[in-house]
Amino acid sequence: MVRREPSLFARLIVLIAMVLATGAAALTTAAWYYARAAANEAYDRLLVGAAYQMAEAVHVQDGTLTVELPMSAFELLALSERDRIFYRIVDTSGRTLTGYGDLPLPGSEPPAPDRPALSNGTFMGAPVRLVRASRAFADPSVQGRVDVVVAQTVEARTALARELTLRAVGLILAMSTLALGGTIFAIRHALKPMARVGAVLRERDPHDVTPITVATPRELRPFVSAINTFIARLKSRMDLMQQFVADTAHQIRTPLAALKSQVDLLSHHLGEPQARQHLARVEERVDQLSRLVGQLLSHAMISHRAGAVPFAPVDVTETVRRAIREAVPDTLDRDILTMLEVPPQPIEVRGDAISLKEAVKNVIDNAVRHGAATRLTVRLREENGTVEIEVEDDGPGIAPELWPRVVERFGAPSPGGSGLGLSIAADVLAAHGGSLGFRRDNENSFAVVMRIAGRAS
Amino acid sequence: MKRHSILRHRLATLCLSILTVPFSATLPHAQEATTFPAVAAEIEVLSIHAATDLSAMEPLIRDFQALFPNTRIEFVEYVTNDLYAAAAEACRQGKALGDVLLSSSVDHLVKLANDGCARGIASPETAAAPRWANWRGDVFGFTFEPVVFVYNRSKVPAGDVPKTHLELADLLRLKPETYAGQVGTYDIRLSGIGFLLAFYDSQETTTTFGRLLESLGRAHAVIRCCTSQILDELEAGRLSIGYNMLASYAYARVRAGANLGIVMPADYTLVLSRGAMVPAHAPRADAGTRFVNYLLSSRGQEVSRREAFFFGAGGEMPPGVEGASSIVRTGIARPIAIGPALLAVQDHERRRRFISDWGRTLVEMSTP
Repeated sequence: MVRREPSLFARLIVLIAMVLATGAAALTTAAWYYARAAANEAYDRLLVGAAYQMAEAVHVQDGTLTVELPMSAFELLALSERDRIFYRIVDTSGRTLTGYGDLPLPGSEPPAPDRPALSNGTFMGAPVRLVRASRAFADPSVQGRVDVVVAQTVEARTALARELTLRAVGLILAMSTLALGGTIFAIRHALKPMARVGAVLRERDPHDVTPITVATPRELRPFVSAINTFIARLKSRMDLMQQFVADTAHQIRTPLAALKSQVDLLSHHLGEPQARQHLARVEERVDQLSRLVGQLLSHAMISHRAGAVPFAPVDVTETVRRAIREAVPDTLDRDILTMLEVPPQPIEVRGDAISLKEAVKNVIDNAVRHGAATRLTVRLREENGTVEIEVEDDGPGIAPELWPRVVERFGAPSPGGSGLGLSIAADVLAAHGGSLGFRRDNENSFAVVMRIAGRAS
Repeated sequence: MKRHSILRHRLATLCLSILTVPFSATLPHAQEATTFPAVAAEIEVLSIHAATDLSAMEPLIRDFQALFPNTRIEFVEYVTNDLYAAAAEACRQGKALGDVLLSSSVDHLVKLANDGCARGIASPETAAAPRWANWRGDVFGFTFEPVVFVYNRSKVPAGDVPKTHLELADLLRLKPETYAGQVGTYDIRLSGIGFLLAFYDSQETTTTFGRLLESLGRAHAVIRCCTSQILDELEAGRLSIGYNMLASYAYARVRAGANLGIVMPADYTLVLSRGAMVPAHAPRADAGTRFVNYLLSSRGQEVSRREAFFFGAGGEMPPGVEGASSIVRTGIARPIAIGPALLAVQDHERRRRFISDWGRTLVEMSTP
């Protein structure tokens, strides 16, 4: 039992889908990072602007630091509508001037005046973004640094980052879907030639041992040429086998003929009736054997020719004439009237003349040997593009229940027959796209009908 | 110039006592609880803590109970600063002050929400609220209340009725003998809403506000904790003009038959939207959310316009109010947007400075 391997299509799709999924995940992560950076940058500007405004609002009045927080700073921060705002202003002595006293000062070092320090943190249980801006005072009464810390919750920036990411993810998904769809289409298209080679092999005639000539892409050529090499080897093996059968039959026939003539000779010199009777039986068996060998030869020949010999135009009338000449022996123990009815115009089909002759010969031989009492008629006609060769006799014929079996090899051997004759004819006709049929008109008429597609069709 | 320095000198002695007031006012001193029993079998109790007159809220509470008859409502009244102090303290301790907070001092609610003391609400009603009346889905403005001048018709002749803030300042300056001790306004040290309105006045026009404040001080303006007290005195004839009064309260008096006139200032009219909020740790937050949704719903708004606060969000005027027919259409309405900008109002340093400036100009001259 061969283990079932996943299809090439499934393998490719799974691999490509995995690559796409990995790529999409990486891109999504990257998109999230970029989106977060962009959102932070956008909202950090507002935060820094607000911190500057607040720092600007710190001034010295009557020798003390005081601050009048501008509403505009809060309005600036309110541009991110949902975010809460925390702030703290620390005076030069480290005391909280105003704001949330517990808001931590981010960073140990004060930031450079032109570069406020941004950081992330948590305040009142919510994640916040903090900015720290410093302003130096050199007033006679107030000297030192004032720190302004502004913190804002991160809802707006998170929402913006999420929205940007979602849009990017939408694009990534659309692109991945397109890529996957395209891949499915491309793979199906690319694998088509394989199916074509398969179909050509499947639809091949079992006897056809010619090389495959279907056009294939470069990648499949080794595969097809391997098949062709295999076919060539198979053909040579088959040829050898058939040659062997033919040789064997031939080799058997020669000693058989010799044996038969020896037995003939012997029969003239034997007086004893008992011995004569034995001898007659031996002669009968030898006849039977030689006929079997003849038919085996015939079978081997047509098997060899089927699919191996190219079809050519065949003159049916001439072929049938020859068949009759070869099938009806000059010497018969009974008188049979043999007739051939042919139409005036010539009849032609495409096929192998030798095989066809062999088929007709076997049908006639069968009729002579088992059927015809006094009359044998061979008719030839062409109707509606079908050529019919009909062999009719006045013998007992074949019982209808045997009709399907007599066309099989050794299907219904008759006494003294080999059981090959009609099967040879049926094989030949099948190879020519025709058929073998039977017809019984009345008590004294049985016909075997061979049909072949005519030249015209 | 000389007079000014004398003025300052006199003030210095009073200054200390004034400055301590806003910080000592954190002790609750005006709490009154009222209970509205459930109409049907009681299933839940909704506790409302409000710095809003009960008389204005009552029609809304009754209508809410018509919708939810199984709710008993407890209504606790505060002055704005007390409500904020109590709510902030409760939030610090991880507790909640009731299930709904209502305050005309929306800056207090914004500060509470900014400190994470609010519970967000998302509903079709909150989504329909105007942008300036909704912050974070935490704090909602549910009324539209113009800030007006109110005068006693029998004491102020038609020719004297001020149409703008500047006219009010000029009137007090030109007729000091007539109006000395006759003008009332909020004591912004006690009233959060008074502070909020004065702050926004100062933002609108710095010069006019300075003149007005000076005129008020010169005219020995009477300062009170609440609108109702000033309206009482106006009605009684002890005062002639009330400055920065909430139109809703004044109109309620007019409807009740008081001989009062209401003027929408024609230069600009501040519009206050009373705030509602559900505290973060509210024990019955679902009931609180339902109440806030009701206040914002078209039904609640309709009841509010008809029976409670009389002014609709479109700025349409009830009959008998002097000024433009719609302050929204004519563009003189200045709604106090509910948003983080109110945090600047809440900044204690800024607040301290503002109140001390205000006290310096006003209290010193009006205090006998």
